[in-house]
Amino acid sequence: MTKVLVIADIKDGALKGSTAELVSKAGEIGAETAVAAIGSGVASLTGDLVQAGSSTQYIADDPGLELFSAGPYAACVVDAARQFGADMIWFGFSESGKTLAPRVAARLDAACVSEIIDVKLKGDQVEVTRPAIANKVLQQVKINTGSLVAVVRAGAFEAGEDVSGTENVVQLSPPETDARAVIQEIISDAEGEIDLTDANIVISVGRGVKDQDGVNLVKELAHDLQAGLGASRAMVDGGFMPHNTQVGQTGKIVAPSLYMAVGISGAIQHLAGMSGSKYILAVNKDPEAPIFNVADYGIVGDLFEVVPILREEIKKVRNQ
Amino acid sequence: MKILTTVKKVVDVELNIRVKDGAIQEEGLQYVINAWDETAVEAAVQLKENSGAETSLVSIGGADNTDIIRRCYAMGIEQGMHIQDPAIEKPDSFTYASILQKVYEKGDYDLVITGKQAQDTDNGQTGIILAEYLGLPCVSNVIDMEVLDETHVKVSRLGDGGTEVLELELPAVVTVDVSMNEPRLPAMRGIMMAKKKKIETMDLAGLGASPEEVGAGAPKSEVLAFQETEKRQGGQKYEGDPAEVTAKVVGLLASEAKVL
Repeated sequence: MTKVLVIADIKDGALKGSTAELVSKAGEIGAETAVAAIGSGVASLTGDLVQAGSSTQYIADDPGLELFSAGPYAACVVDAARQFGADMIWFGFSESGKTLAPRVAARLDAACVSEIIDVKLKGDQVEVTRPAIANKVLQQVKINTGSLVAVVRAGAFEAGEDVSGTENVVQLSPPETDARAVIQEIISDAEGEIDLTDANIVISVGRGVKDQDGVNLVKELAHDLQAGLGASRAMVDGGFMPHNTQVGQTGKIVAPSLYMAVGISGAIQHLAGMSGSKYILAVNKDPEAPIFNVADYGIVGDLFEVVPILREEIKKVRNQ
Repeated sequence: MKILTTVKKVVDVELNIRVKDGAIQEEGLQYVINAWDETAVEAAVQLKENSGAETSLVSIGGADNTDIIRRCYAMGIEQGMHIQDPAIEKPDSFTYASILQKVYEKGDYDLVITGKQAQDTDNGQTGIILAEYLGLPCVSNVIDMEVLDETHVKVSRLGDGGTEVLELELPAVVTVDVSMNEPRLPAMRGIMMAKKKKIETMDLAGLGASPEEVGAGAPKSEVLAFQETEKRQGGQKYEGDPAEVTAKVVGLLASEAKVL
C-alpha cells in the first residue's frame, strides 16, 4: 500500500483547510495517510489532524520551532518520512512548503515536483500533472524514483465530506537549531487580514486604483465581503500593498469562488495566479484590457465610481 | 566576497505557446534570460558596486546561451562560464544542481545567488538542492539583502507569516524573488565591451564530472507530454451607466453564479 505523508499547513495556531484537502486526495488514490505537524503548541491540533482523515500523526512540538526555520523544519519532515516509510510526501502550496520540499527531496534522494494538480498511481508508477510556463501549459510528469516529494497547487484537491481517521500519535524529537541561518524576527505585514489562499472571495487591486486612497476604497469592499485583499505586482512594487498580497506566477496562487480584479489589466504573470478561480469579475476602464478575456463578468468603467456602487448593491442583495 | 550567479535561458512567457501531439511547437518561440535570474544578476552587480564583491556567472545549456551571458557582462558581471555537453539531456533540478555543485567546488565562492524559479518550469528547486548538496545554509524567496561583515549577510524573505528576517553565515546560497530589485538595462558601452569579453566554455569532462555523476540522462522525473492549459472563456462585458451595469452584474453574481 502506498504511504503518503502530508505536512500540515498551520497558520496562527490553526490548521488550514489545505491539509484536509491533501489527506482526502491521498485517501482517494488508496494510500495510507499520515500527517506531520511541526511548530510550537501544535500538539493541541492532534484532534483536527485525526479528523482530517489521517491514520498516524507525527508531532514535532517544541518552543524552538515557534519561528519558521527551514533547516530544522526539514529535519522534522525527514524524520517523520523515515519513521513512516513514506513513498510520497505532500506539502500544501505555502512558502514554507515550497522551500522545504527540495530540501527534503535532496536529503531522501527522492524526486521533487512543485505545483501538482493531479496525481495518479499506475501500478508502481507515479504520474503527476502540473502547470508550467506561467500556467500556459500542463505537463504530464513521470516519476522515475521510488519516492516523491510534491508541493500541491492551491485549490487542486477537495476535502472529502465524511472522512475520519484514527489517533496514533508519534512524537518527533526536537531538531537542532540552524546556527548558520538564524531567524531574527518575522515582520507581519497583514495583521488581522483574511488569508488570501483560504478566502472564499478574493479582491485584488491593480495599477488602476492609483494610490493609497484607491486601495482604501477597495479595502472597504473587502471588509464588507470578508474577502482576502490581493494585489498585482505593480501595486506591490509601488509600495501600496504588502509583498505577501501579490497574486501571480511569483506570488500567491488563489482559487476562490469569486475573484474580483479591480483596476488590473491582466498580465500573463497575474493570470497564472488566479485563473483557477471559479468566477472572475473584472472592473476596468479599458474595454480592451486582457483581464476581460478571462473574466466571467466584466464592468467597463471608472472603478472609483463603480466600487462604491458595488458595495451598495451587494449590501442590498445580501439583505434580501 | 566572491559571488557566483546562475542564469538559465528560457522561453519568453509573453508569447503564445502552442502544443501539438504532446510537444511544444518551437515555431514562433523566443528564448530570453529567466526573469528571476536577471534579478540575481542585478543583486550580484549591486554587491560588486557597493561592497567590492567579485562576480562570476554560470549558464548551463546549448550554444546560443552565450547571448544571455553577454547580456550579463553588459550589466556588470566580470566572469562568465558556459557549461555545454550533449550528455545533459532532459535535465531535472537535481542534474542542474549537481553540475552547479561541480562549478562551485572549482571556485572559492562565498555566496551563490540564483533566481528562485525558472519561468519555463516554475519548479523553484535548483538553488535549494544545490545548497543541500554543498551542505550550505540557504534562504529562498529573498527580497532584500544587506552585507553585515565578511562572513555574514542579513536577508529578508517572504514567508507565510510575513517577512522573515535572517542572519546568514557565509558561504551560503540565496534564491531571489523578482521583487528584490529592478534589473538595469545595459548601456551601449557595456554591450560593446561585452561582445569582446571571453566566455569560459566547458563540458562535463572539463568540470571533472562524468554524466552519471550528475545524473545526466537519468532524471528523477521527466515530462511525458505537454498540453495547452484550457483557456478560460471571457463572459459578458457590461458598458454604460455605472449604476445600471453594476446593479446588473451584482444581480448576476447573486442569481447566476451564486457567489454572494
